Amino acid sequence: MGSLRDVLSPFTAWKHVIETPVTLKNPIGREAADRYRGFHQNDTEKCIGCGSCETICQNAAIDMVPVDDPKEGDSGLRPQIDYGRCCWCALCVDVCMTGSLTMSNEYTWVDTDPDAFRFIPGVDEKPWDAIAKGYQRPGERMLSGLTRPEMMEMEPEARIDNFDEIVAGYSREQAVLEADRCVECGLCVATCPVHMDIPDYIAAIREGDYDLGTQILYETNPFSEVCGRVCTHKCETVCAAQYEGEPIAIRWLKRHIIDNVSEERRLEIVGTPQVLPTGRKVAIVGAGPAGLTTAYDLARQGHAVTVYEAQDHAGGMMRYGIPEYRLPYDALDRDIAVIRAQGVEIKTGVRIGSDITLAQLKADNDAVVLGIGLHMGRSTRVPGSDAPGVEAAIDLLRRITAGEEVPVPKKVAVIGGGNVAMDIARSMARLQKQKYGAVGVTVTALEDFAHFLADKEEVTESIEEGIEILDARGPQEMVTFKSGKRKGEVKGLRTWKVISIFDDQGRFAPQYDEADEIVHEAEMVVEAIGQMADVSLLGDELTEALQWNRGRIAVDADGHTSEPWLWAGGDSVHGPDVIHAVADGHKLAASVSAMLAAKAEVAK
Amino acid sequence: MRELIEHLTPRYSLGAPVFQRPGLTFVDVKRDKLRALLLDLRDKHGFTHLVLLTAVDWLEEGRFQLTYLLNNRAADQTLGLRLYLDRANPMGDTIHDIWPTAATYQRELREMFGIAFPGSPRVDEEFILEGWTDMPPYRRDFDTLAYSQQTFVERGGRETHEPRATMKHKLYPEG
Amino acid sequence: MFSFQPDRSQYPDIGPDGKFEIDLETGKFLKLWQGPNHPGITGNMSVELTVNGDEVVEGKTHVGYLHRGFEKLMERRTFIQVFPIVCRVCVPEPDFNEYCYAAAVEELAGIETPEKAKWIRALILEMGRFNSYMMSIGGIGGALGNGIVGQWLTYVRDLMLDRFEELTGARIYHMFILPGGVRAGLPEGFEGRMEEVLATAERYLDDTEKLLFTNAVFKKRTKGVGYIDPALFESYGVTGPNARAGGVAKDVRKDSPYLVYDQLDFDVPVEHDSDIWARATVRYRDLRVTIDLLRQILAKMPKTGEVMTSLPNVLHWKIPRGETYIKGESSRGEYGYYLVTDGSGYPRRVNVRGPSYTHAMALLEHLIPGTNIADVAALMVSLHTYPPEIER
Repeated sequence: MGSLRDVLSPFTAWKHVIETPVTLKNPIGREAADRYRGFHQNDTEKCIGCGSCETICQNAAIDMVPVDDPKEGDSGLRPQIDYGRCCWCALCVDVCMTGSLTMSNEYTWVDTDPDAFRFIPGVDEKPWDAIAKGYQRPGERMLSGLTRPEMMEMEPEARIDNFDEIVAGYSREQAVLEADRCVECGLCVATCPVHMDIPDYIAAIREGDYDLGTQILYETNPFSEVCGRVCTHKCETVCAAQYEGEPIAIRWLKRHIIDNVSEERRLEIVGTPQVLPTGRKVAIVGAGPAGLTTAYDLARQGHAVTVYEAQDHAGGMMRYGIPEYRLPYDALDRDIAVIRAQGVEIKTGVRIGSDITLAQLKADNDAVVLGIGLHMGRSTRVPGSDAPGVEAAIDLLRRITAGEEVPVPKKVAVIGGGNVAMDIARSMARLQKQKYGAVGVTVTALEDFAHFLADKEEVTESIEEGIEILDARGPQEMVTFKSGKRKGEVKGLRTWKVISIFDDQGRFAPQYDEADEIVHEAEMVVEAIGQMADVSLLGDELTEALQWNRGRIAVDADGHTSEPWLWAGGDSVHGPDVIHAVADGHKLAASVSAMLAAKAEVAK
Repeated sequence: MRELIEHLTPRYSLGAPVFQRPGLTFVDVKRDKLRALLLDLRDKHGFTHLVLLTAVDWLEEGRFQLTYLLNNRAADQTLGLRLYLDRANPMGDTIHDIWPTAATYQRELREMFGIAFPGSPRVDEEFILEGWTDMPPYRRDFDTLAYSQQTFVERGGRETHEPRATMKHKLYPEG
Repeated sequence: MFSFQPDRSQYPDIGPDGKFEIDLETGKFLKLWQGPNHPGITGNMSVELTVNGDEVVEGKTHVGYLHRGFEKLMERRTFIQVFPIVCRVCVPEPDFNEYCYAAAVEELAGIETPEKAKWIRALILEMGRFNSYMMSIGGIGGALGNGIVGQWLTYVRDLMLDRFEELTGARIYHMFILPGGVRAGLPEGFEGRMEEVLATAERYLDDTEKLLFTNAVFKKRTKGVGYIDPALFESYGVTGPNARAGGVAKDVRKDSPYLVYDQLDFDVPVEHDSDIWARATVRYRDLRVTIDLLRQILAKMPKTGEVMTSLPNVLHWKIPRGETYIKGESSRGEYGYYLVTDGSGYPRRVNVRGPSYTHAMALLEHLIPGTNIADVAALMVSLHTYPPEIER
């Protein structure tokens, strides 16, 4: 075995003796590759403290620690990393919802204090904070979905001649896909006026447990079916998913839960008051979201609650302000049915102040709560604004709901750029389509599109339905017929181009380009520039006695007025918004309940 | 593969097969038929390679699953035989005489799952663990986290905060 | 050449079954521990040898020095959280763990892997094989007193680690093959830098051939030593180069093509003597094939395309009940992951089939009796075992 070659050949290795050694003289300081996963960096301005990095860390290396006070959409927490546990896998970078967390390519660091290897990137300054190289997510976030499933909606042609509901609601498949995107950080909970347990009910959707979902909804909100359709969803504006992709469709998911529970089952889940009647009586004026929520809470605590409503049906602005195509009346009725099931008596068609006086209510009850809403339209007070043919949006909407005959001319101009303006424009458009087969509505808004007040989807859908929307137009005059049979009646709206709305001090002082004038032909001009409360029910004496705050009844944090027996809340106190009104309702009920409990204590 | 399973099913009372993908099939087998089936597969059907032998603890169902994974290289087919054992008294039958290398697997299963294989060489000798006195650690009811917390000292100085609770505490403590 | 016959007159009697009766009390036997500190360079494992003179009469493999209970740890982690720990099951060639786990999860969760990601996965796996063979051949050289080969090939391996670093962001535990694809595409100019490494490797391999494979001493120490009867291959679960050195062309890349191996042009080297020499030679030849495969993959890989599929939200990712087995051809043989899911967010069971499990346990214990003490290290190294994949 073996040849001479096998003996000699190994000696060729000697040639390496004259080669330069390949060993690095000083390996410390060798720069790592561009995508090396080294020490973390965190852009703390971008970070929202959602804690997804902590959740995904398989080795429990990350703690969320407070570095600042929390604010809307930011917990004030920031990740602190324990490099005794970190395995440099960078899943925290991959999962990061804002893209704030990255890794530098620095990997050498010597310190004699082991605790120094636990620090808050971006807060505790480190030499590698400014290094641009290192691991970053190469593309968009891949570890959770970026976009919402598309919501099925009626096509514009199909919806424009009727008041049928436009949005179909999510299917189970769509809802599960959407619910899956939620990272359960819970930043939205603080922003929601009633602090709904959003991540929990979204989790219930994923689990397919709609009973549990309903139960969670009712813990904070007796108007979940309404809010599932028309909530202003402030929660979605702070959603962690919005930074790369769309925010979770929280509102649609809420609706999806209710859509999947029958009315009977809902009543079973919510149940009825499980306490003995307290014998205390509370009167509530106004069957809107604030009043009914107060009633719901108080009734569940065993108090006898009567709600007085001037209109023929309960619901307040939810019924008489929001058009049916956005919120069908039977959806609202189902929410109200659950409230009635708690033993709440709702007396409709009873106007306090004329049918029954407030003094009478005071005498008959332990407490009185006002939830009277904003049912009077504000006027532009431009010349001609009192002419026949000039309408208030809120009044018109109410009459449409009540089934009253409203004039439907071929041409309508709407003043206003908020959701109410869109509501009346789209309602009138439907009536026009039914009557004439064509839409003739022009909306003139003070704001430009960049600063529009109405929801984006409202604007989009309005335009889809053939409504003309003109931005940055200021109303100057309702043009009227100067002569003839229709003398004095409206025949148009004259507007100027808006240059700016506010002055240097931020006060409302619109500036116009008078050269850019348009007269919009219209036989009806609708003012939709805001509402106010009708406080005539208070009567002179009480109006005098109460404290006021810039035209609104002054209340403390709990909704208590300056009169010990009287509370007030909802739109009339805090401005128009269903979910705020619900939040107010809870607050009012808690305050009233505390007073009643104190009374009971004294009686003993 | 389907033909083979059809052929074997009545003879060895196999359960319903799962054709996981072309080339990988799982099927349930009863304990008293296992040995004959393994020999048949090895000697007549080309399944000469014992890929692995391991157990799955179905704690909630009160049973262990033994998985015998066999491979026929020429046909590029892998067959997983699933055998269920009573979890209260888990007892398997040694196959070290069919595949000597099975002795190692059986020794590991004895140590990690507490499944007995009487007659398997050195089956009671310690394999990976040394001086282990707790329950067999790969059983589902062995809690590794609790064990580590009892056995090791946590390094201090760590405290985490939940975003939602933090915000509630600071922004709306009453709500 | 020298021939040395030991004096066996003082040896104990051989029993009727042809084996010694091992009785330490007789004073004729000695217990020797080889390991656990790197017997050869294969990692923390030890063999308890019973020797008689310089002849080993019994060997028992002891593992557990690295046991961290990975399979159990995986059961406590969500599917995405398992990803960072799988690579730790095998230090020198971690990528098979990443690939097998990712592919198993993808199969049970019904996720498609983008085409380009498959190519990059194959690239990574061949880079890992390159490194593993470098260590193995260097280790065989080292175990037989030829440390210079170990140094050369460790240097070459280090150059490949640089390529790993720029591609994956890490040198050893790459954590790059995620379920759904891979983390990123190739960095700019990667192909050129890879070619430099391959050219350097070929230079050093040429030298290695002269120093190791054309070397009378090495031949003397390895030829005819550590013979494994190919008849034992099936009963002892022998796969990979250990089988290919005995004339059986087992190679999962050919037998059951995965990723893109059906689109690559390569032959599986086979030797026939089934001894240490044959096993070392098969690895050496296969390493040359690997270098060729790396070039092929880089040339044939699609230049554009996605490398990662968007996953469902991994923070609450659940996979329906099911089980699967995914295998690949590692540098040591069949590497596989048996994954069982139960519909929850956590794996019910993960079982890793490392080739060393069969090679270093039952097979090694079977081979050791009758060998010379001096050959045990070479025998062990020639089986190319990585202990962590035995104990997991």
